[in-house]
Amino acid sequence: MTEMLSYDFMQRAFIAGIIIAVLASISGTFVVLKRYSMISETLAHSALVGVAVGLVAGYNPLWMAVVGALVSAWLIEYLRSNFTIYSDAVLAILLSGSLAIAVIIVSLGGTFNNSLFSYLFGSILSVSNEDVMSILIFGMVALGILLALSKEFYFIAYDEEVAKVSGIKVKLLNFVLVSVVAIIIALSIRVVGSLLIGALMVIPTVSALQYKFGFLKTSLLALVFAIFSVICGISLSYYFSLPSGATIVLSILFIFIVSLLINKKS
Amino acid sequence: MNFKVPIFDIKNLNFSASGINILSNVSLQIFNSQYIAIIGPNGGGKTTLVRLLLGLEKPSSGEIKIYGKKFSEFKQWHKIGYVPQRAAHVDRNFPATVLDIVNMGRTAQRKPFSKMSSKDKSLVEDAMKQMDIVHLKDKMVGTLSGGQRQRVMIARALASEPEVLILDEPNTGVDQSSQNRFYTLLRKLNKDKNITIVFITHDIGVIADDIARLFTVNEKVITCNNPKQALSCDEMSELYGIEAHLIHNHKHGH
Repeated sequence: MTEMLSYDFMQRAFIAGIIIAVLASISGTFVVLKRYSMISETLAHSALVGVAVGLVAGYNPLWMAVVGALVSAWLIEYLRSNFTIYSDAVLAILLSGSLAIAVIIVSLGGTFNNSLFSYLFGSILSVSNEDVMSILIFGMVALGILLALSKEFYFIAYDEEVAKVSGIKVKLLNFVLVSVVAIIIALSIRVVGSLLIGALMVIPTVSALQYKFGFLKTSLLALVFAIFSVICGISLSYYFSLPSGATIVLSILFIFIVSLLINKKS
Repeated sequence: MNFKVPIFDIKNLNFSASGINILSNVSLQIFNSQYIAIIGPNGGGKTTLVRLLLGLEKPSSGEIKIYGKKFSEFKQWHKIGYVPQRAAHVDRNFPATVLDIVNMGRTAQRKPFSKMSSKDKSLVEDAMKQMDIVHLKDKMVGTLSGGQRQRVMIARALASEPEVLILDEPNTGVDQSSQNRFYTLLRKLNKDKNITIVFITHDIGVIADDIARLFTVNEKVITCNNPKQALSCDEMSELYGIEAHLIHNHKHGH
């Protein structure tokens, strides 16, 4: 354990990973309760478009990922409110569309190599000091917004229309939530990878829901599950030289299965 | 406050969806501290009318004012308490205790990051006392009976100190004794607290003695200012053929 933590890159991975666990589980609670789980998958693929542009054009891929995910989030909300397309169809279209664009950009740029691979599946080795700073800065902003508006997000997740009639600006807050989720997902793809981040957002909450607690306990439990699986996953990734995203997701899946078994209806 | 300004003022309202007229040429006013029932056949437009009153739907033409203002200018939403139709059938797995739900009644009035103030807490406590659900406050909402859940939803609405309570068929799936208890509570809120009640129902008979005005909705809206007479109102029986239904329920409800 001490040996693992003596490496700079492992310290960076743990710091980045724990910040992401906190952000993903808190925002994930609202996303899951709004029945919006699939949006995390779509935004993660859109973030890849940003990464591709960053890799080819030489910009910071993490920042470009944030831009890609934000543009996609706004496009999703625009399409849903201005056209008659089913919500899940919008998500499916943008998911595959984004991936196609990302692959084409990277192929044209001739950089389809390990660096893109690390964004797909997460790589603790690739987390730089600059990345940790970006994750910290964007992450604090995202966390601030989530905590400031958590009671509103909770009410909207419970009943959007009643929340609206009580005077809450539902449309604006939905837009804010989707934007914050986009930022969090873009930040996460370094450590967890864009193909796997959806799991870190959704599974901790779904596992915590099995225990049938009120809101505060459920979100705290999801938070604990997410942090535990990130620590566990990064450690496994280090000891067995596996991609960090996959080991994190397997750790959270383990918690999910245990939670299901403990709370099985008798 | 000038009580002569109607809470809701609808003029020449029309609403159509997919080319079908749901409501035609509706004009009505709802005043402070009245007890109002909205009845009519299924698909007649009762719920649409309420959704229009709440700003959840936009009229195809005509005008709605709320406390004398347009929806875009109206800010005092805490005055409106809304208990939707599906209140009795919420997601049973939603992570919420009774207290979590009633606290939502204060959400819109609280500032970002703020904790519940002592005023917030006492309003929540009062609302739970009035609805007799204090003993349930740490229970998960999903485990309650239909009647209990209905009282939780009304407590949430009451926690925002409403002047109007709008209930859309709140008795769907609630047993008879809970219903009777519920009518008594509504009567008390109307008489003691002066809260305006707007109540959508199929079953007018049991509350016929309480209500001050009756709106019958079937694309058009007929207003009866003396509902006890309305039970034999010619106009209504002619238009909707519901006279027999009203009298029938009235007899059985007492």
